[in-house]
Amino acid sequence: MAVDASVLTGLEQEVGVAHSEELGEISATLIKRFAAAVGEESPLYTDSAHARAAGYADVIAPPNFLTAVINWNPGAPYDQLREDGTEADTHLPGVPAQGVRIMGGGEEMTFIQPVVAGTVVMRTTVLLDVTERASSQGPMLITRYQDTYTDASGVRLLESVRTVLLR
Amino acid sequence: MSTTDSGLYAGATLAPAVHRTSKVQVFRFSGATWNTHRIHYDKDYAVAEGYPDVLVQSHLHGAFLTRYCTDLVGEQGRLASLSLRVRRFAVAGEELTVAGTVTSVTALGGDRALVELELTETRGSDGETCVTGEARIEVPLAWTDASGPAGGLISDQTNTSGEPAT
Repeated sequence: MAVDASVLTGLEQEVGVAHSEELGEISATLIKRFAAAVGEESPLYTDSAHARAAGYADVIAPPNFLTAVINWNPGAPYDQLREDGTEADTHLPGVPAQGVRIMGGGEEMTFIQPVVAGTVVMRTTVLLDVTERASSQGPMLITRYQDTYTDASGVRLLESVRTVLLR
Repeated sequence: MSTTDSGLYAGATLAPAVHRTSKVQVFRFSGATWNTHRIHYDKDYAVAEGYPDVLVQSHLHGAFLTRYCTDLVGEQGRLASLSLRVRRFAVAGEELTVAGTVTSVTALGGDRALVELELTETRGSDGETCVTGEARIEVPLAWTDASGPAGGLISDQTNTSGEPAT
């Protein structure tokens, strides 16, 4: 399909539309496993006793943790995964489920508050804009999605803007 | 990182951090981020997509840049923001080196300073740049005095001939 007029129209209708969901509780185990996967050594991320001595309720997450988790749902049944193995929900409102090649173009993250184990996190996603651009490989759309992560009481934790290229 | 008497100042180069990735790291990172994309664990799929082997996730690249900054600031500072672009792929097993340069230092109120960094991540196999980024960190003002104690953070900076500065 590539990015034709219908893809652009669909995205333009999504600009400014907010999608909010509760991601769930960020457990100490989730944080510690992420830290271990990265090879993090800071005890703020890996040692609950150290984090408490530093004034936190428990370990805190490495700053890019919230944006690094690809899928917050338990996981779709295997026959509902796509051919590349990924979940059908791409966390890109307005992007068609198939027929479009998706490439990451960058991420800008602002870290507002540390994410402490035990926090229940909410995320609101908004498509900020979509821009057409001609490329050597044909027409391309540049989209920017803003994600705002808050705790259950609305305190902002992290804000990110993802640039996603569509062909 | 080595200890010198230099502080954080515009133009200072920071000691690099090297990460030897592995297939088990890439596998575990997919698990920890609940990422089922085959390109990170299925070599046949990665090869069919045109790559030599399974790929390091963009967010693992991001984690290396994040960690470079959080290791730098320790518990006395904080990472305020990070922007990055993954420009080239890296396969699992690649050696990735993150390096930073200070681009500006601004005193804030209350004994703190805002330091801006330019970051790059290069792959060892051919020296190509995989990631470029910028970070803003908040640190104690004392860290930014070029003649003051550096707290073990700052690399030797070299002059243009490559000799260590005195």
